[in-house]
Amino acid sequence: MKNPLPRILLVLGLLAGLTSVSAADGKLMITMMPKAKGNAYFITCKVGADKAAKELGVELLFDGPTDSNAAKQNEIVENWITLGVDVITVAAENKEGLSTALRKAQKQGIKVITYDADALPDARSFFVNQATPQGIAWGLLDEAARLCGSEGEFAIITATLTAGNQREWLKLIDERLAAKYPKMKLVAVRPSDDLKDKAQSEATALMSANPNLKVIVAICTPGTPGAAEAVKQAGKVGQVKVIGLGLPNENKRYVHEGVTESVMLWNTSDLGYLTVYAAVALARDELKPGAKTFQAGSLGSFEIRGDNILLGQPFIFNKGNIDQFDF
Amino acid sequence: MNASGSHSAGWKSVVLRYETLLFVVLVAEWFFFYHYGTTTNRRGTVVGFGTLDRQFDILRHSCEIGLLALALTPVILTAGIDLSVGSLLGLCAILFGKLWHDGGLSIPAAAALTLVAGALGGGLNATLITRLRLPPLIVTLGTYSLFRGLAEAITHGAVTYTDFPAGFLFFGQERWLGLPTQAWLFALVAAAIWLLVHRTTWGRAFRTIGFSPEGARYAGLPVERRVAQVYVLAGLIAALAALIYTARLGQAKADAGTGYELFAITAVVLGGTSIFGGRGSVTGTLLGVAAIAVLKNGLACLPVVIRLNAAEEMSGLLTGALLLLALTGSVLPKLWSSFRSRHRRT
Amino acid sequence: MKRYFREISVTLALGLVLLGLAGFAPAFYQPQPLLSLATREAPTLVVACGMVLVIICRQIDISVGSQFSVCSVCAALLAARGWPLAMVVPASAALGALLGAVNGVLVAGLRLPSIVVTLATMVTLRQGLNLVRQGAFVNLPDSVQWFGLSQAAGQWTLVGAALALLVAFGLAMRHLAAGRWVYAVGTDAEAARLAGIRPQLVTFLVFVLLGALTGLAATMNLVQSPQVQPMVGAGLELKVIAAVVVGGVAISGGRGNLWGAFAGLLLLACVSPALTHLHIEAYWEKAIQGAIILLAVVADGVRQRKQKF
Repeated sequence: MKNPLPRILLVLGLLAGLTSVSAADGKLMITMMPKAKGNAYFITCKVGADKAAKELGVELLFDGPTDSNAAKQNEIVENWITLGVDVITVAAENKEGLSTALRKAQKQGIKVITYDADALPDARSFFVNQATPQGIAWGLLDEAARLCGSEGEFAIITATLTAGNQREWLKLIDERLAAKYPKMKLVAVRPSDDLKDKAQSEATALMSANPNLKVIVAICTPGTPGAAEAVKQAGKVGQVKVIGLGLPNENKRYVHEGVTESVMLWNTSDLGYLTVYAAVALARDELKPGAKTFQAGSLGSFEIRGDNILLGQPFIFNKGNIDQFDF
Repeated sequence: MNASGSHSAGWKSVVLRYETLLFVVLVAEWFFFYHYGTTTNRRGTVVGFGTLDRQFDILRHSCEIGLLALALTPVILTAGIDLSVGSLLGLCAILFGKLWHDGGLSIPAAAALTLVAGALGGGLNATLITRLRLPPLIVTLGTYSLFRGLAEAITHGAVTYTDFPAGFLFFGQERWLGLPTQAWLFALVAAAIWLLVHRTTWGRAFRTIGFSPEGARYAGLPVERRVAQVYVLAGLIAALAALIYTARLGQAKADAGTGYELFAITAVVLGGTSIFGGRGSVTGTLLGVAAIAVLKNGLACLPVVIRLNAAEEMSGLLTGALLLLALTGSVLPKLWSSFRSRHRRT
Repeated sequence: MKRYFREISVTLALGLVLLGLAGFAPAFYQPQPLLSLATREAPTLVVACGMVLVIICRQIDISVGSQFSVCSVCAALLAARGWPLAMVVPASAALGALLGAVNGVLVAGLRLPSIVVTLATMVTLRQGLNLVRQGAFVNLPDSVQWFGLSQAAGQWTLVGAALALLVAFGLAMRHLAAGRWVYAVGTDAEAARLAGIRPQLVTFLVFVLLGALTGLAATMNLVQSPQVQPMVGAGLELKVIAAVVVGGVAISGGRGNLWGAFAGLLLLACVSPALTHLHIEAYWEKAIQGAIILLAVVADGVRQRKQKF
C-alpha cells in the first residue's frame, strides 16, 4: 500500500470510537450479574431487565461468568467497584463467597441488591425474592408426591454437586421428605454438569437401575428436557414422570407429548424487570429500608417483607397454559 | 537465557529477546487500557483501569494463577507437564477447611498440614512419572480427575467451609505495607523460583534435562530425582495457592481452581517457555501472567466491551489469539531463515 | 501376547466390570437402556477414532470439544433453516475439517507444539461460540430426530455407523500404506521422511481427518434429540483422550491401535451407569475415573519396568 493515510485514519477512527462511547452521559449505571451467563434462565431475566432499563432511562450492564463460579463472580464485582457503577445486582452463586466483595462495594457507596439467590443479609440492601428456596424445593417435592401418590421411588438430577443453590434445595427436599412423605424414597442424586445430553444419559441409567422409579425431578434447567428425552426414548412415557425447573420453550414439546408433567419456573423476565426497578429506586432514594410495598412500572405493586421484595409464587407450566409463554 | 555474560552479544540480542518483546507488548497493553479504560463516572470520580484499586485487584486476582504458572515453569522446563495443579488446589483448599473446621486445628497448623498434603499430591505425580517412567501428561490427566474427585468425595460436593478468622483472611483481602498481602507472598515465591531456576546448578539441571534427558544422565545428573523434585515443588506451590484462594474468597469449596491449570499453562507458554522443555525463563512466565491478567482486567474496563457484556468471552478469545500470535511470531524468524537458505542453495 | 498386553489388560478390566455388574446389578443388562447407552457413546467413538490417529502421529488435539460444539450449533442452525440432513451432515463434516485444518496448518506447517496450538484454538472457539450464541438452545424440526426413522432404527443406524467407522479405520491402520505412514511418522518423523513419507503432510491430514470426524460426530449427536445446547461437547476432549490413552495408545507416538481405544472407551463409558446401578453416590465418580486412568497406565508401567530389569 503506497499511501498509508487511509489506514491510519481508519485506526484513529476506531480508537475515537472507543472513547466516544465511554463519555459520561449522566445516566445511572446499573449492573446485573447472573450466576452463569449462557443459562437460558438468566437470558430471559435479561430480557425483562433490558425492558425496565429502557423505560427508566438507565444504563444496564449485564455480565457474569460463563460457568457458575464464585471466584469469577467475585472478580467481576470488584471490577464493577472500580468502574464506579451506581447499583450492583447479583444472583449469588454462593452466599459467603460473594459477600466480602459486596460489602466492599457498599463501603464505596455502591448500592447492592441481590436477586434469584441471596448473599449474606449485611452485604446487600434488598433481596428480590422470586420464590424462597423453600418454595422451590417444597413445590417440586409436593408436585412429585402428587404424581406418585406420596409413595414410591424418585430420583433427582442436579447441575453440579457443588452448586450452592442446588445444595440448599436438596437439603430442604431431604428435610421435608423425612417429615412429610415417609413412604417416598429418594434413590439417587446425579449431577448433569448443566449439560442436557449428560442429563439424558444419567436419566437412562437411573431408569434401568431403578425399575420402580416413578418420578424424575430435575432441579436445573438443562436437566428437564434431557430427562424427558431419556424417558421418551426408553418408552416409559406415563410410567416415569418428569418434572423440574425449566423454560417453556425448551420443554413445550415434552409437555404436549405427556412426557413432562409440569415445569416450574417463576417468571424470569419479570424477575429481571423487578430487580432493575428496585435498583433504580434504591439509587434514587425512592426505596428505603422499612418500606412495605414497592411499585414497579407496568407490573404494579409488590409486597416487601423485611428486606425481601417478593415476586410471588413460582409459576407452574403445564399442558393447559404452556403455549401462552414464549421465552 | 539470562543476561549474565552476554554483554559481548550486544544490544541487539537484548532488544530482540522474546522477554523484551513481551515486556513491550505488556507496557503497550497497559497504556492502551489506561487510556481507553479510565473514565469519570456520573459523580465525577475517576473510575476504571487507571485507578490504584484496579491495579491492586489485578494483583489479587492473578496471584493464584500466577503461583500455579510459577510452579509449572520448572515442570515444563524439564519437558514435563502437570495438568493436576488446578485440581490439587481444590483438594488442598478442602483439606485446609476440613482440618481447621472439623479437625479443630489452629490455622497455622492446618496450613502447614495443607502444604504437606500438597507436596504429597505432587509426590504421587512424581512417583508415577519417575519410578514407573510414565508420561507426565497421562499421569497428571489421571490425578486431575483423582484430586478433584477426592475433593468432591470428602465434602460430598456439598460442604463449604467458611467463617475463617480475620487474621487468616488478611492474607487474601487486606493490604500490608501498601500492597495486597498475597502480592508479597507471590513476590517471595517468584524470587525463590527465579533464584532456583536461574542461579543454582540445581535449577539449571531442569533445563539440561528438558533439552536431553539422556545427555543429562551421561553428564552425571540425578535425572529422576530432579524431575521428582519439580513435581513435588509444583504440589507444594499449588497448596500455597489454595491457601491464598481460600483467604481471598473466604470460603473453601470443592470446585476451587477449576480450569486454572489451562490458564497457568497458557501463561507459561506465552512467557516463551518451550512446551518441549529446555528453553524458557521465570521472567518470561511472570510477564506472561501479567500480560494475561492485564488483558483480562483491562477488557473488563473497556467501555465497548462492557456494553457488549462480553468481558470474559473477549478475554478468552484474545488470550487464545495472543497465544497463537506469540507462537507463530516465535517461529517465523526460523522459518524465514530456513526458507532463505533453501533458496540460496537452489 | 506381550505386544498386546495393554489391549488385553483393558479388555480384562472391562470384562471384570461387566461381570461385577452381572453379579451385583443384573438390571444393567436390559436391551433398551444398553442400546441407549451405546447410542449416546457412538459420537464419542467416532471422535476417538480420529484422536487415535492424531496421538499415534505423536500429536494431540484438545480442541475437539470446542470443535464439536461449533459444528453442532452450526449444523443445528442449518437444519433449523430447513436444510435436508443429507446436506447438513457433509456441511458439518466439512466445517470440522476446516477447523482441523487450522490446527493442522499451525502444527504441521509452522511446526508449533500441538498441545499449545489446540489449547489456544480450544479457548478461542469456545469463547467465540459463547459470544455469538450466549447459550441459547437451538430447536430442531421434527424430521431431524433419528433421520426421520423410528427410534430403534435411528439408534441402530448410529451405533452401526460408528462401529463401521471403527472397523474401517482399524483395518486401514493395519493394512493400508496410509495407516502405516501414521505409525511411521509417530515413531520417527525423520526416518519416515528418509523413507519417502512426507511427515508434515501426514500430520496435517490427521488433524483434518479428526476435525471431519468431529463434525460428523456432532451430527450423530444432533439427530438424537430435538434440540441442541451450545455447551454440548464441553469436556469431550478429556473423555476421548482418557479413553484412548487407557486403551494403550502411547502419548509418545507410534504405538497403539483402535481396538484398545475402543475397549478404553467402553470401560470409561460404563463407569457412570455402573455407579448408578450399584447405588454408589455420585460424588465418587470423578475419583473413580481418575483411579481407573492411573491404574491402567500404572499396570503398563510396572510391566515395562519388570521387563527392563
